[in-house]
Amino acid sequence: MAFDFDTMLRTIKDKQWSLADIDWDAPGADLITEEQRPQLKQFMSDLVWIENIGARGFAALARKAPNDTVKRIYEYFHAEEQKHANAELALMRRWGMLADGEQPAPNTQIRMAIKVLDTYGDDIPLSALATLIPMLECALDGALVKFLLDEVADPLCHEVFRHINSDESRHIAVDFQVLDLVGAGPARRLLIETASAMQPHMLLGLIVVFVPLLNKMRDNIAAMGLPEHKLYNAVKRFVSNGDRSENTKRIPVYHVFKAQARMVVDRGHGYHRYLADPMVKVTNRIPARLMGKQPSWSKELTHEPVAK
Amino acid sequence: MTDTVLIIGAGFAGLGTAIRLKQAGITDIVILERGSQVGGTWRDNTYPGAACDIPSLMYSFSFVPNPDWSRAYSGSAEILAYIDSMVERFDLRPHIHFGANVIGLHYDDESATWTAHTEDGRDFTGRTAVMAAGPLANPDWPDIPGIDGFTGKTIHSARWDHDYDVTDKRVGVIGTGASAVQIVPELVERASSVKVFQRTPGWVLPKPNPPHPHWLNAAFRRRPAVQSAARQALFWLHEVVALGVVWDSVATTAVQGIARAHLRLTVKDKWLRRQLTPDFRIGCKRILMTSDYYPALQQNNCKLITWPMYAISPNGIRTAEGVEHELDCIVFATGFDVSKTGTPFPITGSGGRVLGEEWATGAYAYKSVNVAGFPNLFFTFGPNSGPGHNSVLVYNEAQIDYIVSAIRLMRAEGVRAIDVRKDRQDEFNRDIQRRLESTTWNSGCQSWYLTEDGFNATMYPGFATQYVRQLSRVDLEDYTVALTTSDGGYRTAAST
Repeated sequence: MAFDFDTMLRTIKDKQWSLADIDWDAPGADLITEEQRPQLKQFMSDLVWIENIGARGFAALARKAPNDTVKRIYEYFHAEEQKHANAELALMRRWGMLADGEQPAPNTQIRMAIKVLDTYGDDIPLSALATLIPMLECALDGALVKFLLDEVADPLCHEVFRHINSDESRHIAVDFQVLDLVGAGPARRLLIETASAMQPHMLLGLIVVFVPLLNKMRDNIAAMGLPEHKLYNAVKRFVSNGDRSENTKRIPVYHVFKAQARMVVDRGHGYHRYLADPMVKVTNRIPARLMGKQPSWSKELTHEPVAK
Repeated sequence: MTDTVLIIGAGFAGLGTAIRLKQAGITDIVILERGSQVGGTWRDNTYPGAACDIPSLMYSFSFVPNPDWSRAYSGSAEILAYIDSMVERFDLRPHIHFGANVIGLHYDDESATWTAHTEDGRDFTGRTAVMAAGPLANPDWPDIPGIDGFTGKTIHSARWDHDYDVTDKRVGVIGTGASAVQIVPELVERASSVKVFQRTPGWVLPKPNPPHPHWLNAAFRRRPAVQSAARQALFWLHEVVALGVVWDSVATTAVQGIARAHLRLTVKDKWLRRQLTPDFRIGCKRILMTSDYYPALQQNNCKLITWPMYAISPNGIRTAEGVEHELDCIVFATGFDVSKTGTPFPITGSGGRVLGEEWATGAYAYKSVNVAGFPNLFFTFGPNSGPGHNSVLVYNEAQIDYIVSAIRLMRAEGVRAIDVRKDRQDEFNRDIQRRLESTTWNSGCQSWYLTEDGFNATMYPGFATQYVRQLSRVDLEDYTVALTTSDGGYRTAAST
């Protein structure tokens, strides 16, 4: 049976929540231990920025949506990813990790990702973007967030992530349905799209940015104690969801990302030794000033539930 | 037996019809106006910055020239004063019944007359009826949960509350259409903060609005032919623009390029430009004409919000990025409830047929003026009469002259009823819908021009010249005609 995007849009509208619905001063903030604090701050900071980058990805997807309903859904998802980043900022502030008005500084790899998305985001073909985003979301939802909730005892954190996970489950459902739709298109279009994804400047941008970004995050998380099998499970979820649809399997970019995801989780793979790790090292040395001005969309985050 | 002409509405169309009828020697006119003043949409739209998008020289009747327009595009107060002046100049006041809010219009086959019932229980009967209620008469309120629970001030652009002072207030504006782009620059001047909530951006073209120098107004006064020539020049200039904004063509891409360049030159921030860039062809939705909107959006006290609004809370607007925007006042610049599938009040025609039911899937008419089965009923601003590029009053004048010709003909020929032939009407609409397929309005976006099913019941797919030409002559061949016989009875002829 065809997926009912109209019903999904109605559900998305019905399930909206606001930072103002949450009591940010509720007891439990002191359950964060001093040992946890430095690494948790790094983890949350990465999470906030990944959500923000994801939000920008959805904004680009909205421009390419196959119909008006999916476009509207993506507009909501764009906002919801921003909401998740805002809520995570509010948690950081609750845990005393941020001063008034302070924002976590994006690391070099994040800034590069922001720069590339700002420059090429709207030109990345639908099939590439529609494959990349569910992969990141499976990793986020399936590994990072589950891990966070295992580690953090603050009940408010669990309440916030109940909302976030509920949103993410809809994101993933729609992501794979759209992949199915994209894969159902004519082979000619898929080929043309794939060929356009192979444009050297864009391909280079994506490799230079996302390879070190994913690896740096992967290692940050592993350093916090995230078991390898959780990352492996997240990728398995992406693959099993994708492979369920014969149409999705027709998308060449899907196979590229699938292969990359498998390499990312397998620390023993040559991908790390020969490509990703050296790139993290090189990118770490890039001076921030070379990244230019931060685009205004990446400066809209707020932990304030109410804009006075 | 009555020969009265009933006119419903005392805006441009209603008053214009009355003037032309009087000029044709027909004085048995009753104008029913629900308000207490004339002016229609210009009486109701008095929001700060309200102005017309068409040069005043063209946004006025050619048969009521005004040499004193203060600038190229006049504000609402000046347009309203112009409409008011027509009432005195043509002695229309005795014909107008104020406070007559029509709630039903019914045709009686036996007497071949129309009767309008008003809310306060009065009935007005006439041989012919002219619908001049206007397409932009009723404010449209958006369907946002919690809208009734907001504890601050709410104002609709079409019902501005001049007693409310926005100075130092936090104001939210919902909507970014033709009214909003005029209101926002005014609010930014006065309010402490302005948040503009946008769902879809529109294409914006710059609108230089120089004042008319005194010498020009003096020339218009001394030599009306000069004003007429200026009007003609503007008319043809707008006709050329049709090539880009009516039909989806290379010229459309060129006009879109101008709009894009305007955005590029006036908005510095790349992301803001992206937020303001529409994803549809220019012309598909109403083109916004303003040079003030983009600069206003970039003021420190103004912010464009593009996150989807999902609720209105007691204190403000909640958007899907999780933030509640606290506000003192919400301005609904959400436009009008445009009748595309119904009628503003029940209209019952021959044999008890209900127009609203016949128009349920989209309105249609013959040449936008008559509908089969509704004899002696004439529409102004009827189905498929909207221009995308020229003055609506040029179209309105053509409708008025057609209606006046038809009424004169009826009187001269002893016709008690004319009813447009359904076959002619169907043929006309097949042609209109076919021609609409290649227009920008039908190029794939959802706009107020279209019904939810995508049927275009509002716009005319052609040049103003073509529209005017099709209404230049009443051909009774197009109508079923009932003639009054010498013994006071009547006989029906398919045509005369």
